[in-house]
Amino acid sequence: MQTTGFATEELVINMGPQHPSTHGVLRLVLALDGELVLECIPHIGYLHSSLEKICEQRTYVQIVPFTDRFDYLAALANNFCYVRAVEQLMGVEVPRRCEYIRVLMAELQRITSHLVWLGTFGLDLGAITLFLWCFREREVLLDLFESTTGQRLLYNYMRIGGLRNDLAPGFIEKARAFLTSLPDRMAEYDQLFTGNRIFRARVEGVGSLSREKAIAYAVTGPTARGSGIDVDLRKTEPYSVYPELEFSVPVCDTNDCLARYEVRLEEMRQSRLLALQCLDALEKMAGEPHAAKVPKTIKPPAGEVYVRVESPRGELGCYLLSDGSDTPARFHWRAPSFANLQALPIMARGGLVADIVAVLGSIDIVLGDVDR
Amino acid sequence: MPQHNVLDLLADMASGAKSIVDGMRITLHSLVFHEKVTDQYPHRNPDDNYQPGPGYRGMLGLITDPETGQLNCTACGQCQKVCPDNCIAVEGEGKGKERKPVRFTIDMAKCMYCGLCAEVCPFDALTMTPKYTGSVERIEDLIWDLDRLRAEAEGMPHISQVE
Amino acid sequence: MNEPSLTGRLIAWLADLVRGFGLPEPLVQIVGWIAGCLAVVIAILTTVIFLIYVERKISAWIQVRIGPNRVGPYGLLQTVMDALKLMLKEDIMPAASDKGLFVAAPLLVFATAVVTLCVIPWDSDASGGELSIGLLFISSVASLTVIGIMMAGWASNNKWSLLGGLRSAAQMVSYEIPQALALISVVVWTGTLSLREIGIGQSGWVYEWNLFKYWLWIPALVYFIASIAEVNRTPFDLPEAESELVSGFNTEYTGMKFACFFVGEFASMFLVSLVFSALFLGAWHTGVPALDKIVPGPIVMYTKAWLIVLVMMWIRWTLPRLRVDQLMGFAWKLLIPAGLVSIVVVGVVISVGLTY
Repeated sequence: MQTTGFATEELVINMGPQHPSTHGVLRLVLALDGELVLECIPHIGYLHSSLEKICEQRTYVQIVPFTDRFDYLAALANNFCYVRAVEQLMGVEVPRRCEYIRVLMAELQRITSHLVWLGTFGLDLGAITLFLWCFREREVLLDLFESTTGQRLLYNYMRIGGLRNDLAPGFIEKARAFLTSLPDRMAEYDQLFTGNRIFRARVEGVGSLSREKAIAYAVTGPTARGSGIDVDLRKTEPYSVYPELEFSVPVCDTNDCLARYEVRLEEMRQSRLLALQCLDALEKMAGEPHAAKVPKTIKPPAGEVYVRVESPRGELGCYLLSDGSDTPARFHWRAPSFANLQALPIMARGGLVADIVAVLGSIDIVLGDVDR
Repeated sequence: MPQHNVLDLLADMASGAKSIVDGMRITLHSLVFHEKVTDQYPHRNPDDNYQPGPGYRGMLGLITDPETGQLNCTACGQCQKVCPDNCIAVEGEGKGKERKPVRFTIDMAKCMYCGLCAEVCPFDALTMTPKYTGSVERIEDLIWDLDRLRAEAEGMPHISQVE
Repeated sequence: MNEPSLTGRLIAWLADLVRGFGLPEPLVQIVGWIAGCLAVVIAILTTVIFLIYVERKISAWIQVRIGPNRVGPYGLLQTVMDALKLMLKEDIMPAASDKGLFVAAPLLVFATAVVTLCVIPWDSDASGGELSIGLLFISSVASLTVIGIMMAGWASNNKWSLLGGLRSAAQMVSYEIPQALALISVVVWTGTLSLREIGIGQSGWVYEWNLFKYWLWIPALVYFIASIAEVNRTPFDLPEAESELVSGFNTEYTGMKFACFFVGEFASMFLVSLVFSALFLGAWHTGVPALDKIVPGPIVMYTKAWLIVLVMMWIRWTLPRLRVDQLMGFAWKLLIPAGLVSIVVVGVVISVGLTY
């Protein structure tokens, strides 16, 4: 290639593991031509703590608190997935009231998780105010979770065959009050952020992920739905009491960061409707049991099971292989963040450094989920 | 978006400017009207120390029976068995109802506050208290023995009462 | 220049006081200049301390927080303590850095911000140093800042800093053009480069202010936006974009060197606000002739600058950050044409003789 006399070279630069917007300890190796990203390679594993292996050393009961720690922003969704897997293995029927509480918690958890995502996405784009507003709302929900589960982040709430305890007194009223005020808050976010010209310029057409590529990379959740793939396990493979609830799955086919943003915002609205329906149902079911009878030592029959649920980040799967003892012979966790992160390079290539930050924010990864 | 004539350009500029003014209106509104939500840890306000709710899964403690002055614990070892982190060590003496722990240590630095131990306890002996600050200067100080655990639960609401 | 203003009289009185010591007249003049510049610089640095406090409070209130409230009454001494902390901090210099440039960069940034302050007119007969080409001086000295920032980016020997430095070079060079074009509109309108005379031209009622004359609100807007970019504030804070470049050009700086950058940024923010109020907002005039006789000019200037700075803060805590190509596009495709158009409009208005 003929050059102009100046020798130029690519700038290879480490983004992370310590970097403000890699959402944890993720390391991206970037090859830059000026600000243009030629190549982006995620290096993962900095948060690896062999949780799957640890779980294979623990009894089925002891695993529940460990599942909290995979995707720590959506601990209840993890609980949900794991206990469903064990219940399926054992063939346990769970009371309907318990299922409703589980779905309620999972949907509230989806709102908190998306609130964190929205806030950090704003932070990535330089809008700091939105972050604190989102955390203000999240705090209300965390207080609610705390009152019922006893903790604010790692809830360890669901049990095989039931729940740790019933909803705290006043939970339903407080949750309803919060959900009623949520649309006003979201209107504020819209006014501050969604309509903002600078924000739109930053996300429109940025980080394109085609439908074909999304399927090829097994991308799931809002990231897939932003690429026009109408897949949501709550609809396509209904579990728990979702068939009895009314909601819609937002899908957007513009493939860019804005599509993923809008899908998540709409999901928050849908989760709100779902949670309200659960609250109504729970009020009618007051007094019913919240747990099924299960043996004290849990020894599922030999066999294997793969159960998946729709976590805030996508398809969350739990594979269990039982040999009839009280610990699983094999425990595998299908982490949505892990699969979604693999699609980052094709979204980031050809963009600018600032676009990587936007794309990374828009696919909403949790490093605990990626590395496990 | 591409502009094809001057009018489009001006309209685009106007809508862009409006979006920015909208944003500034909402931040001004927030500045003036929104309630400030900061909790000033450790003081919500100077008179009111922050206390989490009674179901809070905080530091562990051993419950004393108020009538007999004896620990409820019979050193059955269920908590030791269920603990996923292996941070509980119990040794007991005596038979049947008379069995009492002689050594009961919990390594609070290892504990992950899952609450399984308090949950399996058949005698309402081990509980989690709403206490949430446990910082010490030396990590060995977080290995709590029988006396310390008994003192921790003193006057604290028990997690079992919540359910 | 018939009767001296309140500030003018105070200065004359002080000069007499110095003369009382029996100093020769040229020396009195020199002492006057030095004292004037020092007074301005000290006043502005004190202001910066409180600007930082106010910035933190405003951001806190917008973000439903409380903000600094522990050090001193209402947390007023927070910044003072922060400055003390920065002074006591270990001064770390990366081993592979270019030592000379590394030290010089913050000084240059700080010095340019301060030097420009000296030519700001505070009243019809009061300023640190009166220059007939004040505007030219300000825009040329202020453009030195970019050299300091590039030096910092290069000397740190850190790739993120380098990116920040390069971004800042591109940004500042681009935004100086619309800024200068906006100034030219004003210069064409007023026919002078002296800030003092521009100020005098705006005496009288509010509608005499340049902002309200014909199309001068366009250069005013252009100048305002370009100034925000010049002082690296959101939405144009790309050189230090913390979510992309860690902290940009000042990533490797600690202690007082960092403080120099920080104070320099706030000082230049106050500076551009002062220039803006001198050019477009009637300088030291209150807009009501009767009040002008009572209220001293410096106070009016100071208040106006504060108001503009508050608007800048308000903008900062509202908007996200632009991307680097959008930033350049905005300058070259929008601000520069607007600046050029406004020069033409002002020129036509003057040559047709529509002045009033």
